[in-house]
Amino acid sequence: MNLAQSFRAVPIFMLALLSLLLGGCGYNDFQRLDEQTKAAWSEVLNQYQRRADLVPNLVATVKGEASFEQETLTRVVEARARATAIQVTPETLNDPQALQRFQQAQGSLGSALSRLLAVSESYPTLKSNQGFQDLRVQLEGTENRITVARNRYIQAVQQYNTLVRSFPSNLTALALSYPIKPNLSVSNEAQLSQPPAVDFQKK
Amino acid sequence: MMRSPALAPSFLRTLARWGLALALASLQGLAHSQALQAIPPLSARIIDTTSTLKAEQVQAIEARLRAFEAARGTQIVVLMVPTTAPEDITDFTQRVGDAWKIGRRDIGDGLLVIIAKNDRTLRIAPAKALEGAVPDLAARQVIDRSIAPRFREGDFAGGIDAGLSRLMALIAGEALPEPRGASGTAKSASDWTDALVLLLVAVPVLARRLTGWFGRKLACLVTGLGAGVLTWASGAGLILILLSVPLAVLWGLIATMATWRVHPGRSHGDWANSSGRSGTWSDGGFRSGGGGNFGGGGASGRW
Repeated sequence: MNLAQSFRAVPIFMLALLSLLLGGCGYNDFQRLDEQTKAAWSEVLNQYQRRADLVPNLVATVKGEASFEQETLTRVVEARARATAIQVTPETLNDPQALQRFQQAQGSLGSALSRLLAVSESYPTLKSNQGFQDLRVQLEGTENRITVARNRYIQAVQQYNTLVRSFPSNLTALALSYPIKPNLSVSNEAQLSQPPAVDFQKK
Repeated sequence: MMRSPALAPSFLRTLARWGLALALASLQGLAHSQALQAIPPLSARIIDTTSTLKAEQVQAIEARLRAFEAARGTQIVVLMVPTTAPEDITDFTQRVGDAWKIGRRDIGDGLLVIIAKNDRTLRIAPAKALEGAVPDLAARQVIDRSIAPRFREGDFAGGIDAGLSRLMALIAGEALPEPRGASGTAKSASDWTDALVLLLVAVPVLARRLTGWFGRKLACLVTGLGAGVLTWASGAGLILILLSVPLAVLWGLIATMATWRVHPGRSHGDWANSSGRSGTWSDGGFRSGGGGNFGGGGASGRW
C-alpha cells in the first residue's frame, strides 16, 4: 500500500522536476516571445491590409480627375494587386526569402502611393477635392501605423533572437530547434545609400 | 628587463588610443542623447514647457480634464513644447505615448494632444482603444476647424479649449466602461503588498484570538480557511487560493507558538498608514493608468 503509493508519486515528482527544469532554462520565455512576435506580425499585416483597402477609394477619386497621369495610377493599381497576391502564412516569418518578397511588394506599393501623392500636388482641382484630402489624411495615418507596427515587430524579433542566442537558453533553442527569426529591413537599401539627385531645371 | 622600456611606449600608445576611442564613443553617445528631445515627466494633465499659458488658464484646463476623467474615465493629456526637432511631431508623439501610456489599465483609453509651438505643428494621438471614437479624419477636422484658426490668432488657451470640447464630445459618444471609483486606475503592485502586509499581521492576531475558543490547531485551520476565502474574494486565481490556505495555517501555527506577542495597536497603525498613502495617490496627484497603447493613429496639422 505504502510502497505502491510512493511509486505512484514518482511520475508526479518527475513531472514537477521536468516543469521546473524547463521553466528554468527559458522554455516558457520562448513560448511567450514566440507568441509576442506572432502577435506583432499580425498587427503589421493588419495595417498593410488597411492600406490595401484604402487604395481602391483613392484610385476612384483620382480617376475623377480626367487629365491625371495614367502611368502613375496604373502603377498603384498593379502594385496593390501584387502586394495583396502574396500569401502570408506563419511560415513566412521563418523564411527570409519569402519575407523579403513580401516586403518588396509592400515597398513598391508604398513608393507608388507616395509618387501618386507627389504628382497630385500639381492638380489644383484634386487638391481642393475634400474627398481626396480626407483619403490623404487616412493614408497618412495608415502609413504611420504601419511604421509603428513594423517597429514593434522588429523589437519583438530582437527580444526573441536575443533569447535564442544567449546562454543558457541557447541550449534549449538547440534542443527544441527554435531558429533565429529573420528581421525586417528596408527593401531599397541600395537606393537609400545613394544621394538624391535634385534637378531644378524646368523641362 | 631589456624589452620593458621598448614595450612601455607601445603599451602607452595603445592605452592612449583606447582612451581616445572611448572618449570619442562617449562623446558620440552624449551627442546622440542630446539630439532627441527629452520627454518631460508626467506631472499634470496639462504640461506647458514653453510658459505660454497663464497659470489660471493652466488651472482651468487641468480642472476640466480632471472632471472629464472623473466622469468618463478617459485620460487626456495636453503637452506643449517649444520644438520636437530633430524628430518630426509624429515620432515625438509616439515616444511620449510609449513612455506615458496614459489610459486606464484594462481599457487603455488615453488621448494625447501635443503642440510644438515654434514648429507651428500639433498632433492629436488617441490610444488604440480610442481610435474608433477619434478616427484620423475626425482628429484632422478638430485641428483644422477648432484649434488651428485660434492658434493662428495667438489664442493658445482658446484653441486648446475648443479642441478639447470637440474631442470630449467625440469620446463621450463612445460606449466606454464607466470609471470604477477613485482607486480604479491605481490597481498595481501596491495592492499586492498591502494584501501581504494584511495577511502577515492579521493572521497571527486572528489565530491568537481564536485559540481561546477552539484550541490552537483548530484555530489555525479556521484562520487558514479564512485567508483562503479572503484571497478568493479579492479575485485571485485558483493556485494562489490553494497556496494561501496552507501558508496561513503554517504562519498561524508559528505565530501562536512563538513567545513574542503581536502588538495589535502598532500593527493597526501600520495598516492605517499604508491605506492612507494609497488614498492620497488616488485623489491627489495625477498618475497614468498605464494601459494606453499608442499605435500611431491620429492626425497632425499646422497653423
